[in-house]
Amino acid sequence: MTRHYLYSTAIALVVATPALAVEPAQVLETYADIAAAGYEDSLITAKRLQEAVNDLVSEPSAENLTAARAAWLAARVPYQQTEVFRFGNPIVDDWEGKVNAWPLDEGLIDYVDTTYGGPSDENEFAALNVIANPAFTLSGKEIDASTITPELLEETLHEADGVEANVATGYHAIEFLLWGQDLNGHGAGAGARPWTDYAAGETCTNDNCDRRGEYLTAATDLLVSDLEHMAAQWAEGGAARNAVASDADTGIAAILTGMGSLSYGETAGERMRLGVMLNDPEEEHSCFADNTHNDHYYNGIGIQNVYLGKYTRVDGALVTGPSLADLVAEADTALDVEMQSKLGAAVMALGRIKIAAESGFAYDQMLERGNEAGEALIMGGVNGLIDQTRSIERVVTALGVDQISIEGSDSLDDPDAVFQ
Amino acid sequence: MKHRFLACALCLMPFTAQAQASIEDILRDHIMLRFETLAATSEALAQTASDDCEPGSEALKSVYADAFDAWVSASHLRFGPTEVEDRAFALAFWPDSRGATPRALATLLAEEDPIANAPDSYRDVSIAARGFYALEFLLYDETLTNAGNPAYHCTLIQTVTSDIASTSTSILKDWQNGYADQMLNPGPDAPYRTDEEVVQEMLKALSTGLQFTSDTRLGRPLGTFDRPRPARAEAYRSGRSASHVLLSLEALRDLAARLATGNADLAETLDAQFADAEEKLTALNDPVFASVADPQSRLKVEVVQQAVDKIRETVTQELGPTLGVAAGFNALDGD
Repeated sequence: MTRHYLYSTAIALVVATPALAVEPAQVLETYADIAAAGYEDSLITAKRLQEAVNDLVSEPSAENLTAARAAWLAARVPYQQTEVFRFGNPIVDDWEGKVNAWPLDEGLIDYVDTTYGGPSDENEFAALNVIANPAFTLSGKEIDASTITPELLEETLHEADGVEANVATGYHAIEFLLWGQDLNGHGAGAGARPWTDYAAGETCTNDNCDRRGEYLTAATDLLVSDLEHMAAQWAEGGAARNAVASDADTGIAAILTGMGSLSYGETAGERMRLGVMLNDPEEEHSCFADNTHNDHYYNGIGIQNVYLGKYTRVDGALVTGPSLADLVAEADTALDVEMQSKLGAAVMALGRIKIAAESGFAYDQMLERGNEAGEALIMGGVNGLIDQTRSIERVVTALGVDQISIEGSDSLDDPDAVFQ
Repeated sequence: MKHRFLACALCLMPFTAQAQASIEDILRDHIMLRFETLAATSEALAQTASDDCEPGSEALKSVYADAFDAWVSASHLRFGPTEVEDRAFALAFWPDSRGATPRALATLLAEEDPIANAPDSYRDVSIAARGFYALEFLLYDETLTNAGNPAYHCTLIQTVTSDIASTSTSILKDWQNGYADQMLNPGPDAPYRTDEEVVQEMLKALSTGLQFTSDTRLGRPLGTFDRPRPARAEAYRSGRSASHVLLSLEALRDLAARLATGNADLAETLDAQFADAEEKLTALNDPVFASVADPQSRLKVEVVQQAVDKIRETVTQELGPTLGVAAGFNALDGD
């Protein structure tokens, strides 16, 4: 009985709105749902990382280091898919530097190889090594680092001296503490930090194992609390969710801004093309863990997620609802087809990098001078991302003309007004 | 802040085209002219270096200045032929926040890497060791002017200049042999589908150029009040920092005037705003922005930056809607 009743209600709804129009508000709800699920998944996996880190620090062993590394890699999968929320949403963008800042001068944190060099013109503190130094002077101030706390990392060390490369917190600081420097240059292989860097007593290698454990614990705790904060922003009643829901035009613009900026300036430009052009293995996004292929791939998936209105959670559940794709298809079917095919092509191109990397052709090797196959793989991803940006710009135009009305500006609502 | 700004730019974007600007005029008198000058001055630079590769040579420094000027005057035109094979990056890799240029050059000089023996193979070298900014280190940096074997140093200068000339020529050829025509003839299967997309590309060049001059050319040395960064000024070793700001403003002023031809009031506003920014810059009389470190005089550099930002605002809020397009995405959108 119940089923029949629901069925007829559905029919009635269809009849009442024969155009089957997708409302921007529904699209924005799906968008916020995907963000909420993505940050919650990032939090869930960060808590698993936290457990693994606690195990490593309390009972240092090769197995526990391996388990912590595996937990870090898993945690990156949902997080990288959330990066598409960054550029369009100031609440995310203002916060993001705490959790995913890159590139970093890792000598700030811990010991580095002699080839790393010392303080540079750009960064006096590039080789500070907080783990080895319980007290130091920073911009004329005496700093007491005898206990390494989340507050010390967040308030004093992160972006110390106003230098962005002084990254003291977030995924990449933790990555460095789990893997260590990748000293293989353009060769295959990631950082090879020994588990004994966390061992007690005489087994401890590279000194200050207790302080190293303290740093790793503090940084991981901070990551968890930062992700808790962001997950709350997207939950029902959260500020980020309310911001996109408050105005349909700016909400849709936020989706497209995030897609376009992550595709073009950030992933294609800053993270991928620059590395190829500089032939520099340090230009890998996850250079310690050699996980860069996944960073890029899941960025691509994240962009596709928000367009299609579909996100696969870490427990396998699918978050889905009315999508931007539906909205675009109503305005211009051909453009939706174009957009979907560009997004698919970019994900495939990024997938080729992942396939090659996982079969043994490391991202460092792809970056090597004269490595044509590597350059072609990476540039395939870059070109896919640039190409889809053109279509995103067309979507902006199409939705603007047919769907988005701008309030409160004569020069915009009435283009002729500016000539009067 | 800039992201909020962009989000807003997106909502302004979509309106019926009012494109009054003449695409043909801009192509001929703004774009092609600049790439012709870049190709000619780069060729002269390579020629001079082939006879005279002394880092201290005044003749060499003089042709270097001409070619670098030509690049800066074209540096906002980052689309199409400049983006093929990383050409623009190969001419101009800056800012270099991790010191890749001096590091790459020092390695080449120390190892006497044979890859510098020929311009053809040099194309495979890191962009950090190519182009005008790398050449500045070889001609002006205290350490790198004298580093390595003098014969190799000479070869390196000759190779870098030939590489600059060949890159500049390739850009010009692509403009002449197709790209300009493609911009003149938009269509369903062309890179630009409509005139509006062409105008949008040009508007994007204007707004991105202004953003780069404000955020990077002025913003990097300014740093913050507590931590000014004079050593981050562009090309300060050769004393060119302020002149780059002026050259870019002059080029962008020309482009803005051409884009605003359909609206006399707006054209006048823009021209006055550019004149204001240029006057404030000239009044500074500080070729390398050394004054950013002094709390009193740094204000004057901030005032120049504010004047450039005022132009940006006019471009986004008035010129864009007038043309019926908005700036779209650019390469500076990342962080």
